[in-house]
Amino acid sequence: MNFRILPAVLALALVVTLSGCAVSENPSGPTSSSSTTVRVPADAATIQEAVDKVPEGGMVLISPGTYTEEVTVSTRNITLRGLDRDGVIIDGEGLRANGIQVIADGVRVQNLTVTRHTFNGVLVTGMHDENGPQAHNLTGYQKLDPAKFPPLQRFEVDHVTATNNGLYGIYAFNSQNGVLSNNYASGSADSGFYVGQCQDCSILVSGNVAERNAIGYENANASDSVVITGNRFSGNRVGLTLLSWYQEAFVPQRGATVVGNVISDNNSADSPAQAQGGFGIGVGLSGAQSDTLERNLVSGNSVSGVQLSNTEDIATTGTRLTDNALSGNGVDVADVAATRSPTTTTCITPDTGLSLLPGDLAASCSAGASAGVAASALPQVQVPAGVSFLKVGRPVLQPNLDGDLTAVPDALPTSGPAGSFNTTSVTLPAADLLVSSTGTR
Amino acid sequence: MTDAEPAKGPSRRALLGALGVAVGAGAAGAAGALTATGSWPGETQQPDAGGTPAGSSGQPVLASGRYQAGIARPATPQHFGLLLVCDLDGTDTSWLGALGQRILELTTKATPTDVLPDGPGDLTVTVGLGPRIVAARDASLPGAEDLPSFAGDETIEPHRRGGDLLLALYSDDPSVLTAVGDDLLTLVPGATPRWRQRLFRGHGERGVVRNPFGFLDGVIVPHGDEELAENVWIGSGAADAALAAGTVCVIRRLRLDTARFAALGTPAQERVIGRERIDGTPLSGGPKDGEVDLNAKTPEGEFITPLRSHARAAHPSFTGSSLMLRRGYAFDDGLLPNGEADAGLAFICFQNTLRTFVVTQQRLDENDDLMKYATPTGSATFLILPGFSASSPLSF
Repeated sequence: MNFRILPAVLALALVVTLSGCAVSENPSGPTSSSSTTVRVPADAATIQEAVDKVPEGGMVLISPGTYTEEVTVSTRNITLRGLDRDGVIIDGEGLRANGIQVIADGVRVQNLTVTRHTFNGVLVTGMHDENGPQAHNLTGYQKLDPAKFPPLQRFEVDHVTATNNGLYGIYAFNSQNGVLSNNYASGSADSGFYVGQCQDCSILVSGNVAERNAIGYENANASDSVVITGNRFSGNRVGLTLLSWYQEAFVPQRGATVVGNVISDNNSADSPAQAQGGFGIGVGLSGAQSDTLERNLVSGNSVSGVQLSNTEDIATTGTRLTDNALSGNGVDVADVAATRSPTTTTCITPDTGLSLLPGDLAASCSAGASAGVAASALPQVQVPAGVSFLKVGRPVLQPNLDGDLTAVPDALPTSGPAGSFNTTSVTLPAADLLVSSTGTR
Repeated sequence: MTDAEPAKGPSRRALLGALGVAVGAGAAGAAGALTATGSWPGETQQPDAGGTPAGSSGQPVLASGRYQAGIARPATPQHFGLLLVCDLDGTDTSWLGALGQRILELTTKATPTDVLPDGPGDLTVTVGLGPRIVAARDASLPGAEDLPSFAGDETIEPHRRGGDLLLALYSDDPSVLTAVGDDLLTLVPGATPRWRQRLFRGHGERGVVRNPFGFLDGVIVPHGDEELAENVWIGSGAADAALAAGTVCVIRRLRLDTARFAALGTPAQERVIGRERIDGTPLSGGPKDGEVDLNAKTPEGEFITPLRSHARAAHPSFTGSSLMLRRGYAFDDGLLPNGEADAGLAFICFQNTLRTFVVTQQRLDENDDLMKYATPTGSATFLILPGFSASSPLSF
């Protein structure tokens, strides 16, 4: 059976059951608050139909219900918004690849849940052609030509819950000037959030929660102006990674700012395995260059708080670890780079009281290369077996987007807020940052 | 190679360029062998060479051409080989022209000689120069850089490291190779043999043969003019113009512990390799000569092509490398004094930059479970010179 037919049939069946519900909820019938708003299911039977119907600058407003469709957004400057974050569910049923695929500039996705997709919950990508959107990990033998695919501009994914997806929860690839904020991701077989393949990204990642993922947040070949702040990446197998990755364009990764996050207790057993065996790691830097980590709380990661390594022949260089609260980690900062690509100029301030491997790691700030230790020198932990991404526990109810949800927002600005983000005002977060969003129901 | 694609069919590169659309086996392997003979534009091929370039047929293989023989032609390598590695007294290479001329004579069917009274068969001779000779000309040239020391290289006997001159002789008739090598070396003044290696290789289709571990080898290699130009032949950039159509060869003599590998049993062996033993089908599924799926995972998050499998470790996408042209042979030199077999794989590959091999081998040293069964016992790199002909002599 053709997979493209199955979801359509299911979607149709759902519309029948949902429409009555929607009418009772909106007795006034068609919304006239704005001619640019298309309501689902009142004005359009499916989210995709509404997305195709709404004019540029308009909004698709989705009533609670379970939607078994894969939505592709190819209209510029529209907003896709659920009326109830926990109740508007795009369900891939373990069959469909992506929940929402954004391939147009200036799109907002807000206040809904995407779950049980074999790939991504939300995918924002400037890489697409007549065959649809694509991203990541071109594992054939060809070289990627980023010039053929100019980056998508201006995006916002906010107050979205992405759970139990087979690759990434929320994924921005080959895109610039965007925001991932106030989202929640769990049960991702790779990472809950992923920002990849951009230079001068100007992407702000703030106020998000990732737990029970193989990796909380992953940042591959995303450089220059990526600001990751005020997030909680705790209770995954690996909290956060910054890395260079040859399967995407724009190696090496460089120049990200990680400030004011809680990255703790990344020792989760209720999560899919990290395919490379990662476990108990707070922050992993691999072939990462000139990144800054300031005033983060990094604690309780059973192997290492911050782990430095190489990506093949790309060394990790110029990492600045400043005023972080590192405690209770297997080792606070460890360099495990291979001798062929030694880590250089790691600056750790202050370094008093920290456990470091090698012991003189902090000296590399001025001395240059450090001598990476063997992985066997790290604290040895038992890595629990992975849990199917479809079986990882469901999250607790998540907070809704504030305000009048029927008001159509203004177009997103040309420049993302990351470029002008003032990191100096960000303080060390409390251990319970965003903790009310965590746990299972 | 009877199922070659129409010449104008889409190349594998073109198909993959369409955003990584999965590609079928037909496109992956069949393209282009008939064009890999690489003759000069306008050059007339010998009638008995042009029509049967697939090799292992005993038919003559054209020695002259834009590229040397023994790399991409014949498309199916001959069954036997002999590597002769020599030191040279100096760095003079003025003898190359005469050497090339003699290779043309020996490989031309019309002129039987004392050396080859029965004719050349499918003899090919490939000539390469070691890093010392190349670097003496220009340290920035491809081939001027020597190999670094890889894991286990510290135990390689010194005489099987490096060398100034490579003559790689291949034929379906193993009895002719020594005489040809001896004859050719008389034309190289100051040449002192450093190491030599007899090679053999089984039957195979499209260059794919079983390696000494019993697994099919050479499934994914560049095919056709476009892929060879991108991955194998040195380009025509300003610095390399004189070496365009040459290539950088790496030879690694690997003693293999086939007994210990056999003791693993087939399922465990397949997890080490990443493909099935019988026909090479990737563990991630698809056609037997298809590409492995590196990203496919179980719902629990584990790679289906195992994390430390050879197929994953050797994949060029992880290192930003080009695809190397592999053309390896088996060897068996009897028993070592300790009673172990001195047998294994002479890994031979060609690429347009040494980095392709170096970063791949470094990755194998760190990530490949198959390396547990291999001990390096020889290591060398050579600049394979551009092709030559009677009117365009072999030179450097």
